[in-house]
Amino acid sequence: MEGEFTFDELRLMAQRAGLKLTDDELERLLPGVNRAKKQAGELRVLVSLDSDPAGTFNASRVTRN
Amino acid sequence: MQQSDLCFLTIAEASRGLRRKEYSSTELTNACLERIDHIDGKLHCFVTLTADLAIKQATQAEQELRSGKDPGPLHGIPIALKDLYMTKSIRTTCHSAVLANWVPDYDATTVTKLQDAGAILLGKLGMHEFAFGGPSVDAPFPAVRNPWNTARIPGGSSSGSGASLAAGLCYGSLGSDTGGSIRTPSSHCGVVGMKPTYGRVSRFGVVPLSWSLDHAGPMARSVEDCAILLQIIAGYDPNDPASANVAVPNFRLGLNDGIKGLRIGVPRANWFDENLGVDPQTEGVFNQALETLEELGVTLVEIDGNPFSLARKANQTILVCEAYAYHEKRLQEAPEKFGSSVRRRILEGAFLSAADYITAQRVRSVLNAQISQSFSRVDILATPSAPRPPDPFEGMDPNEQNLRPSFTNPFNLTGLPAISVPCGFTVGNLPAGLQFVAPPFEEATAFRVAYAYEQATEWHKQRPML
Repeated sequence: MEGEFTFDELRLMAQRAGLKLTDDELERLLPGVNRAKKQAGELRVLVSLDSDPAGTFNASRVTRN
Repeated sequence: MQQSDLCFLTIAEASRGLRRKEYSSTELTNACLERIDHIDGKLHCFVTLTADLAIKQATQAEQELRSGKDPGPLHGIPIALKDLYMTKSIRTTCHSAVLANWVPDYDATTVTKLQDAGAILLGKLGMHEFAFGGPSVDAPFPAVRNPWNTARIPGGSSSGSGASLAAGLCYGSLGSDTGGSIRTPSSHCGVVGMKPTYGRVSRFGVVPLSWSLDHAGPMARSVEDCAILLQIIAGYDPNDPASANVAVPNFRLGLNDGIKGLRIGVPRANWFDENLGVDPQTEGVFNQALETLEELGVTLVEIDGNPFSLARKANQTILVCEAYAYHEKRLQEAPEKFGSSVRRRILEGAFLSAADYITAQRVRSVLNAQISQSFSRVDILATPSAPRPPDPFEGMDPNEQNLRPSFTNPFNLTGLPAISVPCGFTVGNLPAGLQFVAPPFEEATAFRVAYAYEQATEWHKQRPML
């Protein structure tokens, strides 16, 4: 599949993210990460340039008492 | 009345009996505690039992009722909470070693509201660890079992809520729902669960999974009981930034108004056949339920299911990104404290980009607009609550959920109110649920349709053999 992460790329990204994961764990993680990445990529065709994200910042909103 | 009959009363029935002095709150509480003692060893619903507190609260409720204080239908009724609702001085574990000994110093807003309404707290219930990732095999507490067949999963993540209600261990419960976690265990355990509109119920003091998708809501053995519970916990809370400052109607007022003339949308095309599609038995049960609704006078309207099918991808992308953001520090410092299933799912969010997350939030806007359009043609939507019967624990494929359509998570993405009611059984006597989805803040419509269906059938009266 185009754009899939390799094991080495995943290990590097995990290190940069401050995650101490064993090689076994990274192996188990890889298919799920690639599935999630593919799924996220498929969403891009559903938006146009004028699609705003759901949820907006409202400066007047008090978030917590 | 036999103890088991006492334990299977609805909240509405128990409340009437208390006021007629047919039994006391202490008797209801003791009946639940004895039943928990007898059968929870094979179901594992309770992570923490608060028996002493429950008996104390029941005694107090009795005294209050005698002295004329009556805060409403939940007064003196034993309930239990999914173990992610923060309870002051009572441990709140999220079914995880990460929080195994955590004792919050304040109550969730919903917990305070239940206490003010006079509810009796029996204890805290098992769940999927941190409300994500499936039944936990390596968590510090055993996985909850389905009362209809203990070799089967009860559905999650509010597993203990669904199973304890089905087993007659409590009268009502609160669950939480980020992708179906109230409605799926309701469906798999043969009980009723309502995910209200996003913002209707405060999540202050509910341990988050994904802030923009999390909903708190009631679970019970009848539609009326869910309406009673929602009435108590609904309402604006400035402590929850997503709380909606909108009026709360009387949810029980229109229950008996009937549904003749309503238009019910069925988004079957381009959704029910996604990947492996809906299990044939489950779809058969669903189709029978639609026939019952037609007999009650509704008009069925087939609508395009494509936007609902697409919603899952956006939901899952947002969910893992927000869940990772919440747990990042813990995963960096002590990943071994998480169970393997939930750790693997949450870690997916570490490797998605900011653009992936924001794109999913943009898709959310697009799909929300498309799905809202459906309500120009119909009054309410109907789908199966779950695409298949509850799986056996043994040999369960955690990726199975991606091979069937999800009928629940589009309504976390859109925030629409959705209720699951029992609608029959598949082979092996496994319950199935029927989901109704209403326009925003129209929970009363969902309750009315679900109640009409419930009263026309006998499914909600069935009990598992335990």
